[in-house]
Amino acid sequence: MQVSQEKRRNYRPLVSSKTLQKTMGRYYALTNYHRYWGKLMRRPLAWVTSGAPVELLRAFNIHSAYPEQYAAIYSARNATVNLCEVAEAAGYSQDLCSYARSNIGGVLRPDLAPLGGMPKPDLLVACNNICGTVLKWYEVLARHFDVPLLVLDTPFLTGELTTQAKEYVLEQLNAMVTDLEKITHRRLDEKKLAQQMSLSREITSLWIETRQYCRASPSPLNAPDLFINMAPIVVLRGSHEGINFYRKLRDEVKERVDLAQGAIENERIRLVWDNIAIWPQLFSFYKMFSEKGACFVTDTYSGGWAVEQAPGTPLESLAATYTEVFLNRSPKYRANQLINLIKEFKADGFVMHSNRSCKPYSLVQEVIRKEVIHETGVPGLMIEADMADPRAYAEEPVRNRVQAFLETFDDL
Amino acid sequence: MFENNHLKDPRQSLELLLEEATLMGAKRLIRYPNRKFFGYFCSYFPEELILAAGLEPLRLLPDSENPTPVELPAYCCSLARGTLDMEVREKWSDLVGIGFTHTCDTMQCLSGIWAACGNSKTVDIVPPVMLNAPGASSYYHAELGSLLNELTALTKHEIQNEALRAALVLCANTRKLVTELDALRFNLPSPLIFSLLRAGQLMPRPEYALALENCLPLLKDMAKETHNKANVLVSSAVLENNSLFEMIEELGGRVVADDTCTGYRHYSGVTVSGSENLLLDIVQRYTNMPPCPCKNRSLNERISYLTALAKQRHAQGAIIIVRKYCEPHAWDAVTLSESFRRCGIRTLTLELEGANVGGQERTRLQAFLESLLEGPGL
Repeated sequence: MQVSQEKRRNYRPLVSSKTLQKTMGRYYALTNYHRYWGKLMRRPLAWVTSGAPVELLRAFNIHSAYPEQYAAIYSARNATVNLCEVAEAAGYSQDLCSYARSNIGGVLRPDLAPLGGMPKPDLLVACNNICGTVLKWYEVLARHFDVPLLVLDTPFLTGELTTQAKEYVLEQLNAMVTDLEKITHRRLDEKKLAQQMSLSREITSLWIETRQYCRASPSPLNAPDLFINMAPIVVLRGSHEGINFYRKLRDEVKERVDLAQGAIENERIRLVWDNIAIWPQLFSFYKMFSEKGACFVTDTYSGGWAVEQAPGTPLESLAATYTEVFLNRSPKYRANQLINLIKEFKADGFVMHSNRSCKPYSLVQEVIRKEVIHETGVPGLMIEADMADPRAYAEEPVRNRVQAFLETFDDL
Repeated sequence: MFENNHLKDPRQSLELLLEEATLMGAKRLIRYPNRKFFGYFCSYFPEELILAAGLEPLRLLPDSENPTPVELPAYCCSLARGTLDMEVREKWSDLVGIGFTHTCDTMQCLSGIWAACGNSKTVDIVPPVMLNAPGASSYYHAELGSLLNELTALTKHEIQNEALRAALVLCANTRKLVTELDALRFNLPSPLIFSLLRAGQLMPRPEYALALENCLPLLKDMAKETHNKANVLVSSAVLENNSLFEMIEELGGRVVADDTCTGYRHYSGVTVSGSENLLLDIVQRYTNMPPCPCKNRSLNERISYLTALAKQRHAQGAIIIVRKYCEPHAWDAVTLSESFRRCGIRTLTLELEGANVGGQERTRLQAFLESLLEGPGL
């Protein structure tokens, strides 16, 4: 019975998903019951953006929770529309980021949010390396909760990282250390920070290694696998639990490669994905591809956490690593990144999600698409949707575009 | 072709400024054939450096509301779409270059898109977002130094300290004159004020300063009559025409406090001078000017500043304009309107696709202004 269902789905489940569920379940339980243990253990709770230097927070024994990640869960559990409507009724425009709107909706009406919403933070930490929205979003949260807001301003890189930008970020990190010392009443333990950096390197290298196995044909993972399995690298970066999980995932993925087992049956078309997942349609959208033998062998989104640390002292390394993230770089850099992925993973094409909620990711995609097509000769499809708000997803036009795109590979 | 002796008469000076505001730089090559223009988008791009490089700053404004250049998705503001469309139509081909400042995500993206698909040479400056962050001033200073080098490379002329000093003096003088103009808002029609403010971003600056200086006495004479209108504050991003202000005025309102990108915010704040290193004065100026929503000097500074401004100018109401897909202004609109309402200032938030207002806006503005006019105190 189970086999026939898998065949129908053309999808091979990962055995390690049980470990993932257990690991993430424990994290959510810890986070949601923070009020019972946080003060006792002297571990404040920080709400942080996905691109914040969490290694520094961990060195201060701060427990981090990620509104963006909760927003993805809200979306996957079909709660986003209700929560966004709460935020919209409070005056927030429907054109604003759907992660931010659903998070604010969850703050105002936790009873409508899966997991009971997020527990109240003791501080907020935002890094604008992913967008300018996070600053405005976290300003709203700081006013609402009346808690400290620490912002790391990472200048956008029009070319390479400049000395002045690196020094500016470094100076802010030094100031952030002072702020965190005041908030936590602890001195920075440099050994602990070095240890966190080391654990972070380890988890990142496991994620990089796992992803590189997808260069094999058939690819052992498809886009939904990458999106689901990226959760620990985001929220448990620098933790032993995260490392243990990625060891299991890496071993399983390696075994699939050894056995020539693909994530989907009869892999015929290899694609690269660009932009955040379409969470409310996570399986139905990608099924349109898998049922035609198209597998997303890699992506730029979950690949954002597969970046090695920059050299230097821990703070120097954090300054460079977090400023050089791909969303903080020029379209030229992003186009080269996509070109390299297509070559490295022997992809036959790429699909870009023009994501209404994420302007830095999406506005530049058309010029990148043209450049990548010009340089690689492979076709690229643009789909307009939203990472979390299903109201921005028009199923029939999307299906027509996907079908037409996949028909171009019929000779393969 | 324009000649300075046209500016001797105050009325001619006023007419020139009003024409320039309407033309939005369209006749720059005919009127000022010997000048070289440099386009820019945002008030955080330091005009002082453009002037010191021997160029005339031209604020790029769209000539239509609904252009759809293929390089940008539809969910992007009409300022970005409109100006990029004009680049595709080669409306900016005479410009020596185009300067981008990292303010919002859209401007940041537009810079890269422009560089990839446009023909103009682009120049970037990435000021700090957190203007009071540790290291922000040093970083800003270094960024200005880099910009100076880029402009030098672009014009192939070294920018001399004297040129920079002269540019600082010109900008300081212009801001002083504009502040005098801003003080006349109570008794002058709002479209007139906004036209005069916009002209200062679209025509050669020496001529602007001269013309404004010449017509200020005339404007002061015109402002002697008091009005009986509803005082409002307007907060908005770029507004490339007077459509909104004409409607406000027609419906019995008057803009007494202005927080718009193309209005007084462009000029407001103190011009610092006297440093050995002139770039430090420029850093001070742009760090301390009243912030737009893309910048942060402290959590509530912008909200407090605008609330205080509204009270100081006795604004009975506030009109917050959110241009479609302009995220920074949309974010602040919620907190700002709460702050105004707490102070007893009625607030209307209007979403506009472009700068033009139509029937729907008229209905809402009319109801809003009537409520102010019929309220206590008038």
